[in-house]
Amino acid sequence: MSKVLIVDDEPHLRLLYETELRRAGYETMTASNAQQGLEFVETMSPDLVVLDIRMAGMDGIEALQRILERDNSIPVILNTAFSSYRDNYLTWAADAYVTKSADVTELLETVHGLLHQGLKAEN
Amino acid sequence: MNEGQNSRAGAAELLAAGFRQSDMSLILVQGTGTVVTASRGAEVLLGCEPEQLAGQYLAQRFSDPGALRRLLADQKTGTVGRVQLEARRQDGKLIPVEVSCSRLETGEAPDAYFMIRVSDIRERQHEDELRAARLAKLTLLNQVSEALYGARLNLDQILQAILVCMTAGQGLRFNRAFLLLVDPSTNSLQGRMAIGPSNADEAARIWQDLADQSSDLFGMVTQYDQSVRQTDVAVNEIVRHMSIPMDDEANIMIRIMGQGHVRRIAGDVDQPGVETLRHWLGCHEFAIAPMSTRRGPVGVIVADNAISGTTITDLDLEFLQMFANQSAGAIENSRLHSELSRRLADLHAAHRKQREDQETLLKMERLSVMGETSAIVAHELRNPLVAIGGFARSLTRSIDAGDPNRVAATIIVEEVARMERIIHDLLDFIRPPKMLRTAMVVDEVVAQVVQKFQPRAQEAEVELVSDLQAENLTVSMNPGEIQQVLQNFLVNALQALDGPGRVEVRSRGVDGGVEVTVADNGPGFEPELVEKLQMPFFSTKPTGSGLGLTICAQIVKAHGGVLRAENRADGGAEFSFILPRHKPEEES
Repeated sequence: MSKVLIVDDEPHLRLLYETELRRAGYETMTASNAQQGLEFVETMSPDLVVLDIRMAGMDGIEALQRILERDNSIPVILNTAFSSYRDNYLTWAADAYVTKSADVTELLETVHGLLHQGLKAEN
Repeated sequence: MNEGQNSRAGAAELLAAGFRQSDMSLILVQGTGTVVTASRGAEVLLGCEPEQLAGQYLAQRFSDPGALRRLLADQKTGTVGRVQLEARRQDGKLIPVEVSCSRLETGEAPDAYFMIRVSDIRERQHEDELRAARLAKLTLLNQVSEALYGARLNLDQILQAILVCMTAGQGLRFNRAFLLLVDPSTNSLQGRMAIGPSNADEAARIWQDLADQSSDLFGMVTQYDQSVRQTDVAVNEIVRHMSIPMDDEANIMIRIMGQGHVRRIAGDVDQPGVETLRHWLGCHEFAIAPMSTRRGPVGVIVADNAISGTTITDLDLEFLQMFANQSAGAIENSRLHSELSRRLADLHAAHRKQREDQETLLKMERLSVMGETSAIVAHELRNPLVAIGGFARSLTRSIDAGDPNRVAATIIVEEVARMERIIHDLLDFIRPPKMLRTAMVVDEVVAQVVQKFQPRAQEAEVELVSDLQAENLTVSMNPGEIQQVLQNFLVNALQALDGPGRVEVRSRGVDGGVEVTVADNGPGFEPELVEKLQMPFFSTKPTGSGLGLTICAQIVKAHGGVLRAENRADGGAEFSFILPRHKPEEES
């Protein structure tokens, strides 16, 4: 079962993504800030990271750089309320970009797509 | 005979001889008016042979014989009477004279003799006439000055006034006058305007007309337009040919302008430009007066009497020069005035623009602050909305279909979706336009959108057809944005149809641009809504944010194009935009 790490400083959103991803059959873990997220990447080896951008303390873009420095094979989805980040080249290193929405279909499809692609690549 | 008698007789003889030879015109007459003897001077004045006057009745020599008789009768001893008459010379010619008379007393015949002195006053009279003429002209110049400076005339009107004064009967009385002005843009002396009839009959009629209509010069100047306009075609044709480069310093007109003195050109004048001028004017004698001010040369006035053939006198020249000086002042005054008005207008315009710019800047600043604030609010709302909507979705899945709570949860899901749309559009609206542009073939971009939209149209039972005729025309665009506009048009059309119908997408080249149109055969919109359609937050749909078309208009405008929304004559609505064609140099 693939492990998905959710990094978001909004507790309700963490709970929502956790619920939906579990329902879709993934194992999940959540971090409430970027620092904690990085630690979990070190210690718990997630298969994919759903990363919020605007967070107190370290932001998602910096966290993305650090994750990629450590292991650039982990797929990272930037998940944000700010659709304008899509045009920012700093976010281009991410594997996908999803605008936060109450309809999590796009997020689930993206997670599935990236993990499926990864599996295919491994095979 | 004693010695004393001898010497007295000798003195009388000497006196008689001296009287006879005198240059002064003296005539000795009897009380009856019969000439006893006359001096040589008198004989010369009256054109007579020596002694021819003796015995003649002097009164006959004057235009008014009674006047001399009265003069003699009025004289008392020792007084000198004077009268001005005209004397008839031997050849019949009349000359103006002053006749003075004194009575001579002798012991034997107390009132028998008179000494008459006849003085030639031709010269004095001429001087008087000149003085009167000068006075008249000075009065005129004063009038002209008032006419030129007093009234608010534009340059053409001033030139016209100058020309009228040059030729009017009450004015300088030239037959024709031509005005040439220095044109700094071409550095040449350029013929500007002329006045004058082409023949004597016309001349007489014009000035009579003007004199009948107006009593003073200023009146004539203002009447000029109606009376003379049509008659001076010929002279204006001449003046238009006159053009002399300012650096042609040998040319007569340029020279005179440099020297600053009026000149009469008559007879043989060996100077460049004279023959050309004679050829232009068609007459031999003319005057050239320079016009200049302290700031430099203004132009010249050329005047002639080609119709009457009258010689141009020194007095004419004197006044022409005075008038030219005054005209130069008036022309410069008018030019400075219009220059001043122009600069003032420029200043006003600059000031107005500055104020407008300032207002625009303030407005933009306000809008920018509003935009930033809205963006922050919109983003902050998004997170809680995602949570609300997300869990509501979750709930709908876990509640049975028959449970009324499921309806409530569904409503939450739908309303949150609507709020998310509003936030999405709002953020789109306040986001600064993307400046990245690429030259794209319009028809390809349009075809892509149509193809992508086809499944949605089919689902709504709408026949979506395209007629793309823009050939290979390209537009410098952000393709994503233009596709967004088109998609918005298509969504609008589908919503307007609200069921089966037909939507047509067309493209064609127009003057300098490409037009893309989306037309539906739905109900169209209320005509009074046309203007409101592009206003932010205006929507005809209960679930719309009211920003869709506003964003489209913004995108099209940022591309230098225009967006149009209108009802079709045969029913349905039509949305279109025109984008300017791509110009290759934009890429550099």
